[in-house]
Amino acid sequence: MPSTEELQALVAANTWSALLPEILLGVLALALLAVDAFAPRRQPQTLLAAMVGQAAILAWLLFAVFTAEAGEARVYFAGSVVQTALSDWMRIFFVTCSLFTTHLALVYLRNREYPRVEYIHVSLVVTASFMLLVQSGNFLLFFVALETLTIGFYVLVAFARTSRFSLEAGLKYLVMGGFSSGILLFGIALLYGVAGNPLLPATAVDPLNFIELGAFIGAVGIDGANAAHPLVIAGSLLVLTGVLFKVGAVPFQIWVPDVYQGAPTPTTAALAVASKAGGFFVLFILLSGPFLALESLLFPVLAGVTAVTLVFGNIAPLGQQNVKRIMGLSGVAHAGVLLLGMLAAYQVPWAFHAVLFYLLVYAIASFAVFEVMAHLAPDEDADQDISHYRGLLKRHPLLGSALVIGLGSLAGIPPLAGFIAKVLIFVAAFQAGLYTLLAVAILGVVISIYYYFGWMRAAVLRELVDDGESGREPLRVTIPTKVILVALALITVVGGIFQAGLTKLVGLS
Amino acid sequence: MTLTPVGLEHYLFVACLLFSIGVFGVLLRSNTLIILMCLELMLSASIVALIAFSRFNAIEGSLMMGGNLFVLFIIAIAAAEVAIGLAIIVALWRRQQTLDATEITSLKH
Repeated sequence: MPSTEELQALVAANTWSALLPEILLGVLALALLAVDAFAPRRQPQTLLAAMVGQAAILAWLLFAVFTAEAGEARVYFAGSVVQTALSDWMRIFFVTCSLFTTHLALVYLRNREYPRVEYIHVSLVVTASFMLLVQSGNFLLFFVALETLTIGFYVLVAFARTSRFSLEAGLKYLVMGGFSSGILLFGIALLYGVAGNPLLPATAVDPLNFIELGAFIGAVGIDGANAAHPLVIAGSLLVLTGVLFKVGAVPFQIWVPDVYQGAPTPTTAALAVASKAGGFFVLFILLSGPFLALESLLFPVLAGVTAVTLVFGNIAPLGQQNVKRIMGLSGVAHAGVLLLGMLAAYQVPWAFHAVLFYLLVYAIASFAVFEVMAHLAPDEDADQDISHYRGLLKRHPLLGSALVIGLGSLAGIPPLAGFIAKVLIFVAAFQAGLYTLLAVAILGVVISIYYYFGWMRAAVLRELVDDGESGREPLRVTIPTKVILVALALITVVGGIFQAGLTKLVGLS
Repeated sequence: MTLTPVGLEHYLFVACLLFSIGVFGVLLRSNTLIILMCLELMLSASIVALIAFSRFNAIEGSLMMGGNLFVLFIIAIAAAEVAIGLAIIVALWRRQQTLDATEITSLKH
């Protein structure tokens, strides 16, 4: 049994104040439910309070990060929570995403008969789990945070409970998400077992801890390196499979188009931006931590996945007419570019910062596009066709130009920020010597311009066709929405010309 | 007849068997309730493996309680997953009167 002093030392490591933003988000989420239950007539104020609360948490987090002196990673809760400059950055990223998602949800729920406060509640819980996920230091917190947010997403995807598309997407996400979690968990169990084996060299006392697991996998004994142990190989591949499912890399992308299409637009945006960013940060934590010694095994596997992801992600959206499916399938292509950056990070130290920059630019452009999509969506949210965008620039110049700028940035057209982000990752890949993958990626970008251009052309060139039905009534765009759209478009344009501010934000100089 | 004592490899065999049944069940069965049960089987496989590893890797001075602790969290998560899963299936049943995954295919364009 551990002694009293040891237990007291463990308790002393429980610095709850380090997790105050996450706790406050949880409290806010619960308070929203309570207030709505007791004062249902005050719903507009409650929803406003949700926005203000998130903004306050974001401001506090920003203040805490910028006043903190840079230094070593801060470790709390006996190694469960590891806060680094990068994880702090991701926490800010997730709260910002949550704000945008909340706004999208308010636009989406405006004309629909679904519960409003409950959506925000689940979305806040998911955000808090994302923030815990990126600072997890052992597999216990990692798995619990990952599952909390995945289960939250099941609810958010199936939220439009009278739409069969949404329910079907929810079921598909549940099955595929549960499947990937099962695979991931079995991988964790195998790693736990092999790293705790007292007969192997450098046995870990706490095999779930990332640092101890990394030390175990890196150790070399008389009978050979631990990294070559079959259970280590099987376990790490299973864990990697589970994470690649979440980011939607080929061959684990089958859920992406259907779930993106069926889910309500704000959920699709959260899946596309926050979920992808979280997945890639987790991949970075794993590859640079416990799985560092497995480079010779994982590098070829990841390179293969990257190649097929890039090819599939750029060919599949060709000929698609549903814009949500286009966003989903092109998201697979973006995952391919990001994977290329992850591979380059093995050799080039700044490559992961380029990945973060790409995620930031991708998030800004995607939210601009999703804002426009939320405004143009017909009553059945899953049926969003390119034809709905005909003549958008004439019909509503602000929405139209925000859409064109967002799509242009996603396609990587100069001088927008998306172009710079792609160039940074390509330079990193070039420095790392990944020439074949780089060629595939550049070819993919050329193809991607084609399908993004088809969507843009509908908005810019096509005349309004009066077919008498879908969405000919005037668009309701509120002033906050206008401010958000202008800000997102401005950052995208200015970020492409003067990227110093944005690159500094992610630690690139 | 002598019985060999039950060792780590027996538990791992059962765990791998459960995991395989779960994986193939999810991939091959078409009834959504059975798929949900197979998802739970996959989690149960990990539970068996974690507890067996905790028991057999424990030595003097290192109790290996992490795996046992993990299992409690997995059980809670599995319960949450089933609750959401059944809710979605009930809602789908109300709309479509079917539980067959091969018939739930409206999302294709």
